[in-house]
Amino acid sequence: MAKGRTEPEALAGFGRYAGSATLILASLAEGAKHGYALTKDIESFAGVRLAPGTLYEALARLQAQGLIEALESQDRRRPYQLTAVGAQVLRAHLDTQRRVADLGLRRLARQWGTT
Amino acid sequence: MKAAPAQRAAWLLRWYPRGWRARYGDEFTELLIADITERPQSWTRAADVMRGGITARIAGAGLGGCSLADGTDQVSASLVSLACCAAVFLGLGAAIWSQLTIGWQWSAPDARATTVALVMLSAAMLAFTVLAAAAAAPVMWCVAARVSCGHAKRLAAPLLFTAAGVAVMFVGARHFGNGWPGTGGHAWARQGLVPGGVAAFCWAATLSVSAYWAHPAALAAFPAAELAWMAVSPVAMACVVGGTAMAIRRAGLPASVLRYEIRLGVAACVMMVVFLSGCCAWLIDGGPGPRNLFHAGAIDIAAAAVMAVALAVAQQAVRQALRSGVTPATR
Repeated sequence: MAKGRTEPEALAGFGRYAGSATLILASLAEGAKHGYALTKDIESFAGVRLAPGTLYEALARLQAQGLIEALESQDRRRPYQLTAVGAQVLRAHLDTQRRVADLGLRRLARQWGTT
Repeated sequence: MKAAPAQRAAWLLRWYPRGWRARYGDEFTELLIADITERPQSWTRAADVMRGGITARIAGAGLGGCSLADGTDQVSASLVSLACCAAVFLGLGAAIWSQLTIGWQWSAPDARATTVALVMLSAAMLAFTVLAAAAAAPVMWCVAARVSCGHAKRLAAPLLFTAAGVAVMFVGARHFGNGWPGTGGHAWARQGLVPGGVAAFCWAATLSVSAYWAHPAALAAFPAAELAWMAVSPVAMACVVGGTAMAIRRAGLPASVLRYEIRLGVAACVMMVVFLSGCCAWLIDGGPGPRNLFHAGAIDIAAAAVMAVALAVAQQAVRQALRSGVTPATR
């Protein structure tokens, strides 16, 4: 995947890291965060605690793809922020996810009722 | 007493390679300290950091994943991994091939599988020699150019290692190759696929690949000089491979040379498949042959298994190098 790619499948190129990549991008969508702040935020909104190795593996990949960028470190903690390309990729990815979720919910409602 | 979080974080960080630590070390340590303070005992965290560190090392070796290196450095890393795998493959392969060719000098094989295998192995060995020479020439040229441009200090250690290793291997293999009946220099060592001297040289160079290591009593009966050579030759070989790998990494090969080396790497992988196929044909259907000269032992089966692993890793290195897509504008 080249830098600047914004197709919905962009995150699919992350393979098994797609889940953690989505969570990180979603967390950074509200502003820059360092590693520990990312972990806590993701835990609060998704109920998933990303282990340190997994988190940094995903951060390295996202940075290499130009979806996030590192800011100046503060007390040895380096915050990361979403890039414009990262924001576009996240939006496209979440739109696809929403379409899938809406479709699944509609079909469930038709076949199994609304409760 | 439990170690302080900072100390435990420092221990965990050691799983990662130096380049990764230089880039992410401080911030990752801070995250680990916070995590350890919050959850003092966590096997999943330790396992996750170990896995992440190993993955980063695999990526650093140019074998996959997300590397911190740029295009050409990444390809150089892949080529170094390929060279190391090829060296392991060739070391074990030469040991098997030289034993079989020496056997043929005593008596021709009576099984078709062994004959076919030996032809395949010999053709592959010839191809490996040509490929190694073709691969070494531009690297040596680039290294010489770097040295003449004032990078001699940076390349001195790897070149010294390589030169010392090659010298020891050449002198030792020549010495021990000429001292064994049925090998080079012997009057009746004139039949077979390859000249006796070549087979003897390879046999002596790979003398350490031996089942005798599992039989200390038999090993103790060996002449002291031969035992010393069995211990020294793998170290010399490691010096050659390690020195060459360091030289490739430090020389900063241009993109054109990298592309050329990748093509040779593809050819080397094909020849490894040919060699391993011949080896398997002999192991499966060869039989012991006349006077047990072509008997396949446990050491041969173990060597073939290691060669298969080396081939798989070499193929992954080539795939990764091709994926890196070094373009003329890269350097």
